Amino acid sequence: MSTLFGTFLGPMVQLTIDGKEVAAPASATIFDAARAHGIPIPTLCHMQNETPVGVCRLCVVEAGGRVLTASCVRQVENGMKVVTNSDRVLAARRTLLEILMSDHPSPCARERQSGDCELEMQARNHGITEIRYPKRYFTRPKDDSSLAIAVDHEACILCDRCIRGCNEIRQNLVLGRMGKGAGAGVAFDLNTPMGESSCISCGECMVSCPTGALTNKRIAGTELPIPAGAVPAEPEDLLELPVFKGVSGTFLEMNKGAIVKRSFHPGDVICREGDFGSTAFYIAEGKAAVSISTPMAHVKTHGGAGGWFSRLTSSLIGRDSDAREEETSQGYIPIDASVDLAYSNPVAELGPGDLFGEMTCMSFYPRSATVKALTDCTMYEMLRNVLDILLKNKSFRARLGKEYKRRALETHLRGVPMFSELSPDFVERLMDNVKLIRLSPGQVICKQGEPADSFYLVRIGFVKVTETYPGGELVIAYLSRGDSFGEIGLLGAGARTATCTALDHVELVKISADDFNAMVDQFPGVRRGLQALADERQRQNAERMAALGTISLDSFLGQGLMEAQSLLVLDLARCTRCDACVRACADAHDGITRLVREGQRFDRYLVATSCRHCKDPLCMVGCPVGSIRRRNSLEVIIEDWCIGCGLCARNCPYGNINLHPFQVMADDPDNPGRRIAMVKQKATSCDLCTEHAEPSCVYACPHDAAHRVDPRKFFSELLGTKV
Amino acid sequence: MIWDDLRAIQSRHGYLPAEELHALSQHTGTPLYQIHSVASFYPHFRLAPPPKADVRVCMDMSCNLNGACELRQALERRYAGMGPSEVTVREVSCLGRCDHAPAVTVNDQIFSSMSEPTVDLLITRALGGEALEEPHPPHTEATCKSDPYPPDKRYGALRWLLKSKDVDGVLASLKAADLRGMGGAGFSTEMKWSLVRRMDSPEKYIVCNADESEPGTIKDRFIIQHLAYLVAEGMAIAGICTGAKKGIFYIRHEYGHQEHIMKEEVERAYHQGLLGQNIQGSGIDFDLEVFVSPGGYICGEESALIEAIEGHRAEPRNKPPFPGQAGLWQKPTVVNNVETFANVPQILVRGVDWFKSAGLAGTSGLKFVGISGHVVKPGVFEIPMGTPASEVIFRLAGGIRGGKKMKGFAPSGPSSGYLPASMADIRLDFKTLAAAGSMLGSGAMVICDQDTCMLDMALNSVAFFRNESCGKCVPCRVGSQKMVALLHRWTQGGLSEKQFTADRGLIDELSNAMGLASICGLGQIVPAPINSVLKYFEDEVREHALQGTCPSGICHLPGAPAKRAASQRVGINP
Repeated sequence: MSTLFGTFLGPMVQLTIDGKEVAAPASATIFDAARAHGIPIPTLCHMQNETPVGVCRLCVVEAGGRVLTASCVRQVENGMKVVTNSDRVLAARRTLLEILMSDHPSPCARERQSGDCELEMQARNHGITEIRYPKRYFTRPKDDSSLAIAVDHEACILCDRCIRGCNEIRQNLVLGRMGKGAGAGVAFDLNTPMGESSCISCGECMVSCPTGALTNKRIAGTELPIPAGAVPAEPEDLLELPVFKGVSGTFLEMNKGAIVKRSFHPGDVICREGDFGSTAFYIAEGKAAVSISTPMAHVKTHGGAGGWFSRLTSSLIGRDSDAREEETSQGYIPIDASVDLAYSNPVAELGPGDLFGEMTCMSFYPRSATVKALTDCTMYEMLRNVLDILLKNKSFRARLGKEYKRRALETHLRGVPMFSELSPDFVERLMDNVKLIRLSPGQVICKQGEPADSFYLVRIGFVKVTETYPGGELVIAYLSRGDSFGEIGLLGAGARTATCTALDHVELVKISADDFNAMVDQFPGVRRGLQALADERQRQNAERMAALGTISLDSFLGQGLMEAQSLLVLDLARCTRCDACVRACADAHDGITRLVREGQRFDRYLVATSCRHCKDPLCMVGCPVGSIRRRNSLEVIIEDWCIGCGLCARNCPYGNINLHPFQVMADDPDNPGRRIAMVKQKATSCDLCTEHAEPSCVYACPHDAAHRVDPRKFFSELLGTKV
Repeated sequence: MIWDDLRAIQSRHGYLPAEELHALSQHTGTPLYQIHSVASFYPHFRLAPPPKADVRVCMDMSCNLNGACELRQALERRYAGMGPSEVTVREVSCLGRCDHAPAVTVNDQIFSSMSEPTVDLLITRALGGEALEEPHPPHTEATCKSDPYPPDKRYGALRWLLKSKDVDGVLASLKAADLRGMGGAGFSTEMKWSLVRRMDSPEKYIVCNADESEPGTIKDRFIIQHLAYLVAEGMAIAGICTGAKKGIFYIRHEYGHQEHIMKEEVERAYHQGLLGQNIQGSGIDFDLEVFVSPGGYICGEESALIEAIEGHRAEPRNKPPFPGQAGLWQKPTVVNNVETFANVPQILVRGVDWFKSAGLAGTSGLKFVGISGHVVKPGVFEIPMGTPASEVIFRLAGGIRGGKKMKGFAPSGPSSGYLPASMADIRLDFKTLAAAGSMLGSGAMVICDQDTCMLDMALNSVAFFRNESCGKCVPCRVGSQKMVALLHRWTQGGLSEKQFTADRGLIDELSNAMGLASICGLGQIVPAPINSVLKYFEDEVREHALQGTCPSGICHLPGAPAKRAASQRVGINP
């Protein structure tokens, strides 16, 4: 605002401050004039780089009036007599500090972190040790939603510094005052949790905050290891990257150690598919190849129809020689980077400005692919808090959006079969118009019954799709990268037919209703396809609703059994729980059992199914390459590009998914260019040996308790009704 | 204008849904934080869906003296079993119905002289889905001595000024008459106008402050109702004198009836060619519009009022610059009270001598005072300046109700503090009251009978200021809260002598810091009620704080042990 050391200071005025005759430019404030002459005035709300607001009133001085005046906002005047340390001033200042301290959660987060909470420091400087005022009767909340910044409203003194930092210095227009009087506080947007607000994590509010109300969130063990060829990234270097433009340097300084600059040489493996990790990589220089080295195949069981002692064997079979029903027809594999991989040749190139490992970093999913340096590379490896800053950065988001549209939007759109007829120029239009939006875990994207206004593609993360029925909520699907949703609402009754919720850190591509409508108008085939789908969905909904009029959700889901091809039933009256069936299954499947002696009971029969088509299929959450999904008959299918990370097997609460190891030839990580035998895994689930005469478990049962049955026939006999 | 947008959304939905605010942000380009910062500032706006019956009981001075506390307690008990989507009972700050206390709003409609059965009936109707409508006040005729005009000769002073253009003459008359601001501060009107007149700016504004929201203050409501033409005329004269071409009549949103009357008067003036462009061929332009306040006592502070017109949170500005230098839209602005503007035509028509002789004991002019509390005939009376308070209390307002004696009175709402009955003969004028450590303020006399708990009245007044603090500066936001907490502790009794002395020290320190360091008058005046009660009713306060004896039984149930375990006074959070 005003400085005494500019080039042209304007006319000067004469005044006295604490008895000292001084000259100051007429535009200066008393605060600045005093400071320039070696008389510091204490303050909490004033920062030299922000417009003064005069709200903490700590800087009050005598300037000849009935009352004191705030020196940070009051301009000097000729002949003014200023006293900065009269008894009235000192007493008022002490009282203000003491009442602020009486509500302060001392020691606050900042005091604990770095011992420099300005309020606590000022209180100490003024000799305030005992707090005689009662603490306020209400407490204020903490907001832990941001990955980068911790908010403790209890420590907020409403000095307005963060607000000016956000709006005046960075012009991000997110933070404001809310409420009134004793209940006033600061709020992001419409008092939205910080992490869900339009905040871009520039950190300016946090570095402006005098207390522990806004503090840097250090992730436990935040220091990244520094391997050979790596150095901690210096804030000055980072600020020179366009992607960190507008971020506070102090903020980056505080996060030093959470971002490391790494160098790689051609052939170096940067990360490996299936590995767990917690970092993302930003490529500053050089090129890298991203690929999936797992064989493109699924597990198939052979032989075994010969009787009691015959063994089944499993082997890996690709799509070409064993096309299973309902395999997805999409030609690409979605991975955790800005590109997708072609099914036929799962290799792509990443270059400067690209980011990979977002989902691993944000949500701790296994690495989806292997990345190798093609040239000499410089990359920044970062933890969640730094990635969050990067992802919210305006210029980086713009770039991310552009790259996504250029490389992946079209494949994603065309991955939905009914969009295949879109013309290139229309795809171009969409590329111009779509928006990228970010969601935090748990945020609702759209609610069942609400008016529909857009169509979405998932860029990153998992979206849970649920429908509400009188008996409860049913998870219809978990959508991941490349999936789309929202078309039914736009075409059907105009309302959402399901509720969509972000399961983790999700980014969506939002296509407005206008663009969507233009698309269906221009391409009748797309409309027909979507319309048919919408009609079918609504018919199914209506049917479910009708069915639910008489039976509960659980038994309704039980009816899904009727749609299965075959069922394994255990007659509990005969079963002695000897587990011979389980051992037999393990013997048959290379030592890995797929049988679970649990399931739904009907009368005295236990139905062990290949998949329990759970109301909430947790197995589908987190698959880094999107290779596990539900069939229309609700059973689970594992696509050929499964990388064997094992997440689905760990997630299945019933142990219905197993990992099957195979020896395969693969690239030798230690000797680039050479291939060696390695053990790779593929996920499998019990398929009831449907391709064989009889499952080994049925053979093995000494009590004739296990049967593989045709569900229609079995239930009609059991229930005495024809179905 | 953001207020129109927010009101439109609230009238559609009953509250401000987030989706609508997002849409508003999109199409007006206003950042979300700005919308939320104002929507959350004014209690009139709801950020969550309202219950079927949203009941708010006024708890301030006059209503408190007339059983608001018991009424609220009874309603809370009665509807305790109902969910928050059915009935909520909350408090609301003074609604300006002090002469018909207690006042209650049900679904934003104001009802006065309420009792448990009458509120109960309203709640039942609201629960039945009925859209309630507040009663239209009965039409009353009042002959005011202040009115210099027969009905067909109104706007005479304005017509004369338009012809003569004798601005110097007007200002000289105002100076000679010593006309002072009638809103509370009593600043010289002539000085204010002359300052704005001297300012070199093509754009200037005249603002009439009709936001009277201080407990007990009802005189402007009366003046607008009966003398709206004098107010409009005074504003136009101010415009001509200062060179301002635009006037804004800023009225509190609880005065729907008066808003309507003022709008009619403005329309009439336009119709008669007394407002608008080139008025009566004089070459002078002056437009007048009525602006409805988004609400809150702090909007009566002139710079906060300006902020509210500009669409911001009503947070007072740091001064200087004063509104006369940089006011509305940073342009020179005159902000005067309703009564001040109404006084101007009187002085010009009847002359300075008449005005000076109208007051008693060397004071000038007439004064409208509102009187409420424990009197037989609460209402608004027009008195000569300098009339003894006892004259108003015992003659005009008919004395104390129920044959009781008076214990104390506030000459002008919480800001003036309380005076004992022994000072009832004090003259109501600027100088005399200021000399007694009180103030003439906005002429809001509130009378307390012999059974009133003065500590409770002090707490009630301080709590009003606490509730109405804008929260901008630390001394007021935090200090008022601390003061309420300390006084609340006193009302519960059981303090040791040592603790009481220590607490009194804290009250002194707080008074000092708030009085010296607050940005505006609100924060500076917060300590007045308790300091006056400590000055004139110290023994009662001591006894209350130490032994816990409450003379009215309002602080805890009569006969209950005078410890903190006793039932807490409703409506005031410590």
